[in-house]
Amino acid sequence: MKSWYKKAGILALAGAFVLSGCSGKGNSSEGSKNQANSSVEDTNFNKTGLPIVNDTVTLTMVSPKAALAPEYSEMEIFKRLEKETNVKINWENIPDTDYTEKKNLLIASGDLPDAFYAAGFTDYELINFGKDGTIIPLEDLIDQYAPNLKALFERRPDIKSTITAPDGHIYGLPSWEDNNLGTNPFFHVINKSWLDKLGLKMPQTLDEYTEALVAFKTQDPNGNGKQDEIPLSFMHMQWCMDIAGIFGAFGLPDNLEHRVVRDGKVVFTATQPEYKEALKYFHEKWYKQGLIDPESFTQDAAQYLAKGKSSDETLGSYIWWEIEEVVGTERSKDYTLLSPLKGPNGDQLIGRANGGGPGRGAFVITKANKNPEITMRWIDQQYEPYMAAQIHWGPLDVVFEKDENGKLVNLPLPEGTSAGEFRQKVAPGSGGPGVITFEDFGKVVDMEPRAQQRAKDLEQYYNPYMEKENYPSIFFEPGELDKINKIEPELIKYVNTQRGKFIVDGGVDEQWDSYVKTLEKMGLNELMELYQTGLDRYYANLNK
Amino acid sequence: MNSLLKRKSRGDVWFDVTNYSLLTIVMLLVLFPLYFVLIASFSDPNYIYSGEVWLFPKGFTLDGYERIFNDTSIWIGYANSILYATLGTLIGVAVTVFAAYPLARRDLVGKSAIMWFLMVTMFFSGGLIPTYLLIKDLHMLNTIWALVIPGAGGVFNVIIVRTFFQSTIPDEMWEAASIDGCSNTRFFWSIVLPLSKSILAVMVLYHVVGFWNGFFDALIYLNDESKYPLQLVLRNILVQNQVNSGMMIDVESYAAKMRVTELIKYGVIIVSSLPLLILYPFLQKYFVKGVMIGSIKG
Repeated sequence: MKSWYKKAGILALAGAFVLSGCSGKGNSSEGSKNQANSSVEDTNFNKTGLPIVNDTVTLTMVSPKAALAPEYSEMEIFKRLEKETNVKINWENIPDTDYTEKKNLLIASGDLPDAFYAAGFTDYELINFGKDGTIIPLEDLIDQYAPNLKALFERRPDIKSTITAPDGHIYGLPSWEDNNLGTNPFFHVINKSWLDKLGLKMPQTLDEYTEALVAFKTQDPNGNGKQDEIPLSFMHMQWCMDIAGIFGAFGLPDNLEHRVVRDGKVVFTATQPEYKEALKYFHEKWYKQGLIDPESFTQDAAQYLAKGKSSDETLGSYIWWEIEEVVGTERSKDYTLLSPLKGPNGDQLIGRANGGGPGRGAFVITKANKNPEITMRWIDQQYEPYMAAQIHWGPLDVVFEKDENGKLVNLPLPEGTSAGEFRQKVAPGSGGPGVITFEDFGKVVDMEPRAQQRAKDLEQYYNPYMEKENYPSIFFEPGELDKINKIEPELIKYVNTQRGKFIVDGGVDEQWDSYVKTLEKMGLNELMELYQTGLDRYYANLNK
Repeated sequence: MNSLLKRKSRGDVWFDVTNYSLLTIVMLLVLFPLYFVLIASFSDPNYIYSGEVWLFPKGFTLDGYERIFNDTSIWIGYANSILYATLGTLIGVAVTVFAAYPLARRDLVGKSAIMWFLMVTMFFSGGLIPTYLLIKDLHMLNTIWALVIPGAGGVFNVIIVRTFFQSTIPDEMWEAASIDGCSNTRFFWSIVLPLSKSILAVMVLYHVVGFWNGFFDALIYLNDESKYPLQLVLRNILVQNQVNSGMMIDVESYAAKMRVTELIKYGVIIVSSLPLLILYPFLQKYFVKGVMIGSIKG
């Protein structure tokens, strides 16, 4: 009994320490911050023009940085900005791999910088930290001090609509390279040299494609006397390596979310008759005949990529973002892209990927900031289209030069560096603030060569067959997000497992009804309603 | 006499045969993964993934090691880990021993109160964020001290060492020494420590392994990549390699990056565990003795 009292006493004491420790800390830090830097005189701040301030003002910003990048204070682009604006940024750079943990720690401990740059705030964080006042609403500041952002919103009301929170405030600034390159991530590749060798023509329909796969399997196209050919390999329900696009042959393309939009209505693909037909076909015609690599359902990217580089050429057809990475530059000559295949009822369709709008949380200003106007003017510089391009890819005279029309064109890379590596060293990159709109490409800045190639491929092989609508990236309310997060992960997991099972083991016809019933029990209808509400709200905002 | 001892009955022979074969199987089960890592570090990653590497390296290559030896971040991490492990172990062992010895003495006033005080910290802690705030207010963020100071003198270790002292250094020894005019300090340095080499070795091993494998404190408290310990560098190499739609264009450099990671993954495991593999045999003889002693005599 005595020892029980002792324990209880210790517990209470410890609890008291913890509590007092916490609250005491919070107050004192705030007090000291209030007293510090409250020294912006109106005469120092210029509402328009440069520099932004006459005497140097220092702001503290936290930002993730890539492994190869130097501290941002050492980065040419920011040195130039400092010179022009007279705003000195005290950078606290965190390696991008640890950024999420550190960011949460900083916010939870109240150790706030003036702003988070390339902040990567999620919707949930934006709205919750917006509500509790950790980060401040920006729309009034934008209105008064951000001509470039305002111009952008006028040109592209969809961007404003996307970044506006359901409560009507803007908490985070956008980041976007609106290049339309991800509209169809699933590039379908086939071995052209095998087709030629076996005297087959490029498949136009699904059945022709199936015949080609059978020929790949049985007729030893790589000529090594072994039946080691893999007719078709992919990665089940993985971004850019799934067969979701091929479902389009049955009239309804699938995607990783199993969610498409037609005529403004949200459709869940995985309960539709077209989806069922597709699964039946894939099981009967493909899996049963051994045309699908059984590891397609289990392999990881490393294993998948290794298959393209086996000592004898063994890969007949695969799906990936582009041709080269899987089979290597040497072999890529043998392969070619495949347009969507015509299905049994003459459907020829490819999906349009969901989301893909601007990132919302690229820059946030915290309540610790005593100079929000200056901060807004500083960040607004980076929404000027030419500056935005430099923030995303690198500064003038280092990565770009201006041609006679004033367009930014790529300078040759320094000897022995790759474009990706070099850019990391000179610019914050694609997560940074700044928006390069679709209209800006070709006018303000050129896409890089590989991106141009991809745009061409999309144009040639996929765009004519692409779905018109997609599900945009929508800002949900926390309550809605909670419900979605409660229902969706389990439901999608079940759908994906069943999808694999139906392709491998078959039995779609017998199990279909109970499968659909299970989904309804898991909350499918409620989920679709939530998505429909979000979509309706999005369109309502857009037309406002 | 000698031959009599050597003779074995049939049962003994069977016992030996079964015993040896079972133990051999267990040994192979344990050794093969280690062996696999070793040969995989010399093999072409594409062969590893197609399952063709089994008993011997295939597509023999030193590219992985070449990469590792050329990668400065790994070596900076290596140097940092050695520094943290050395300094942290020194401080940690010193604090532990200094705390444990007085607590082992019967004549310490308030011994049980102090012990209680220490024990509480084993069961209750402030949690991550208050600890972070404390470290921050002590201005230890982003310094080596955030890693080596807060963890020094773990209570569990103090108890192990205290028990060791209690059971191996009898009071009579102190009485004898003090009659000869020996001071407490002298007694500690000249008699207690030399008699406690085994427990010191155990403590050194505990601390070194802990510091060598630890990455969480570094993840929380360090911002500067040039201060990262090896494990954090390795973690970051591995974490970076997941495909998602966020990378869009960069998916192209992804495959190239991943090939490198696959190439160096096994080599890095070898390189990073080498120091412990070397250290362990030297301390092992103390290890068994040190931990067991308390329980045998106590």
